[in-house]
Amino acid sequence: MAKKIKQIAIYGKGGIGKSTTTSNISAALSVAGYKVMQFGCDPKSDSTNTLRGGEYIPTVLDTLRDKQIVRAHDVIFEGFNGIYCVEAGGPAPGVGCAGRGIITSVSLLKQQKVFEELDLDYVIYDVLGDVVCGGFAVPVREGIAEHVFTVTSADFMAIYAANNLFKGIHKYSTEGGALLGGVIANSINAPYAKDIVDDFVARTHTQVMEYVPRSVSVTQAELQGKTTIEADPDSNQAKVYKSLAQKIINHTESKVPAPMETSELRQWAAEWGKQLVALESGLIAPAAAGNL
Amino acid sequence: MSKVIERPRYVCALGGAIGTIQSLPRAIPILHSSSGCGGNLAGALSGASGYNGGNYCGGQALPSSNVSERDIVFGGEGRLQEQIENTLKVMDGDLYFVVTGCMVEMIGDNVHAVTKRFKGEKLPVLAAETVSFKGNSYYGYELVLETLFRDFVEPAPVKDAGTVNLWGVVPMQDVFWKGNLGVLKSLLKKLGYETNTFFGQGETLENLKNSGKASLNIVVSDAYGIEAAKVFEEVHGVPYITVPLPIGDHGTSRFLRTVGKALGVDEIKVEKLIQEERKAYYPYLERLADVYNDLDFQRYATVVGDPNYTQAVTRFLSDDIGWLPELVVITDILGEEQKERVLASFGEYESGLRPEIVFDEDASSVVGYINRHWPQNQGQKYHKGFAPGVIIGSVMERDTAEQFKVPLLPVTYPISNRVVLNRAYVGYSGGLTLAEDVLSLVVAHR
Repeated sequence: MAKKIKQIAIYGKGGIGKSTTTSNISAALSVAGYKVMQFGCDPKSDSTNTLRGGEYIPTVLDTLRDKQIVRAHDVIFEGFNGIYCVEAGGPAPGVGCAGRGIITSVSLLKQQKVFEELDLDYVIYDVLGDVVCGGFAVPVREGIAEHVFTVTSADFMAIYAANNLFKGIHKYSTEGGALLGGVIANSINAPYAKDIVDDFVARTHTQVMEYVPRSVSVTQAELQGKTTIEADPDSNQAKVYKSLAQKIINHTESKVPAPMETSELRQWAAEWGKQLVALESGLIAPAAAGNL
Repeated sequence: MSKVIERPRYVCALGGAIGTIQSLPRAIPILHSSSGCGGNLAGALSGASGYNGGNYCGGQALPSSNVSERDIVFGGEGRLQEQIENTLKVMDGDLYFVVTGCMVEMIGDNVHAVTKRFKGEKLPVLAAETVSFKGNSYYGYELVLETLFRDFVEPAPVKDAGTVNLWGVVPMQDVFWKGNLGVLKSLLKKLGYETNTFFGQGETLENLKNSGKASLNIVVSDAYGIEAAKVFEEVHGVPYITVPLPIGDHGTSRFLRTVGKALGVDEIKVEKLIQEERKAYYPYLERLADVYNDLDFQRYATVVGDPNYTQAVTRFLSDDIGWLPELVVITDILGEEQKERVLASFGEYESGLRPEIVFDEDASSVVGYINRHWPQNQGQKYHKGFAPGVIIGSVMERDTAEQFKVPLLPVTYPISNRVVLNRAYVGYSGGLTLAEDVLSLVVAHR
């Protein structure tokens, strides 16, 4: 029997560290001996840069623009440790339809049965966080990814985006779409940040996969065009990513999240806001504020 | 969830726009859409409008950008530009008009930015965003007219008191549009006016271009072409009136009086024309008087279709040939304001008739209204059923007519069981034609 390919989609608000996290997960899985493909689903097409020495690769849509027929192998590039890198790409800002571009790219690889041919263990989709239209929901729809992970910080806008994504997953869950594996809490340094994310996952009936601290070693590695796993494999940060990858390997069962209603979410954020103001104005002892 | 319309009697905005443009003399439509739109619409338009297939650059021979997935992802403006350039090279026209399909509207292609690049060239290239998720054929018709009035009709500060424009008879949607426009034009000629109908026999683009000098716009509809008339008034300062489509003496005499009054024509002159027309009209009907009474040609009638035709046919049946058109089903989607205007056109019958008027878009509903209006015989010896009856509607009333075993005359869109060339139902002459057609149904079995 052919082995089952584990397909994972990683969503999150723009700038939250989605591509960094995804690339490090890909790198950690690859180092652990798995065959991995990372599929960047963002018109900016920079998801796989740190797997390719900081280099941009030709995208599926660039290739489609020049040729009538695209062979999947023309758009697959090997990166760090043999990771297969693909970028969907997209139209110039302000024209065409980026969402349709994602659909086109994903279905092109699916039709050509590349995943089976390459004998992959993992396909990881790194998707533009604001699921603005149907196209960006393609990886979570039936027959593509099985598990969705959301990268979020304790920033309220990032949590709003995560909650929106939960709504999307909720919608598709009855139609055979992907379910939620959990939240990857990024840039978690202040203790209150952990509390906020913990409270959010509790309310939305999901779990935190890993708390990833903000670290200079990540920035340093990225400036070299590398993931932390590649540039600094023995660092604490690399250990965090490896631990996250291991949890993803062990993860088998995803669930339907319980997204908050907009008004509920606003009220929830307002209450946290009050606590944070209290913290800033010194009503809460500095000791409780950790390394703020 | 929005309501589903069962068997709608129109196509999409793009279809309405194509039908309108291909009916303009020497105008070339250019579709910015995927390849299915043009073909499907050509079939729908032709098969449903008495096999009016379209002439040069109409019907199945429409230039189209035929956008594919690549154009959708990256935007189709480049493809459109190429299509316009090529169409200008190979198709012989004097006016090129870009209309859009839903897919390019979804992705936000800016067609105006593309057609602007052709400004200053020898031939005009216009564009309208015929967004079909915003409206149907009639909306497409309005959009094309509005664009022509804004971008093609030249400013004319000095008006010509002897010229008027006339529209509201929608090409293709009114299957008899060409004949009808010709009749209306010659009627107004008798009143002393030159009329631009834009789409009728013998019209030219030059007439359309110079239509800004008209002294009045006559919209022969209480529902269609009114938005375009507002644009014309705003851009060219020409006032407009709306007047119901006239069939037969009663309708047409009212039409002439309304138009005459708006134009300030001497009442005596108008009445003189009406008398002359009647002198020609009634002797034809008089010939039938004996047989009409002896063989009892009188029928109940149900009139089904668009607001233009239903009011005209109802008045004609009631007042010109003495029938009992007691039930009218208006099948187009109308706003409250439109409904009010349309309802007002169903009054003041010479015969004293007060027809029941319902607004319902579904073809299958007609049966229910007929049964409600004329209850079925429930074992009673004497009852007032829909017999002897006739349905005047579209080809979609075929099932209903068969169910009630009554004849059907299709005069409203869609009509796929008649071939229509220059037949006209409007005016005095059109009234006689309609009388021939409906009364022939009564004697068809002989």
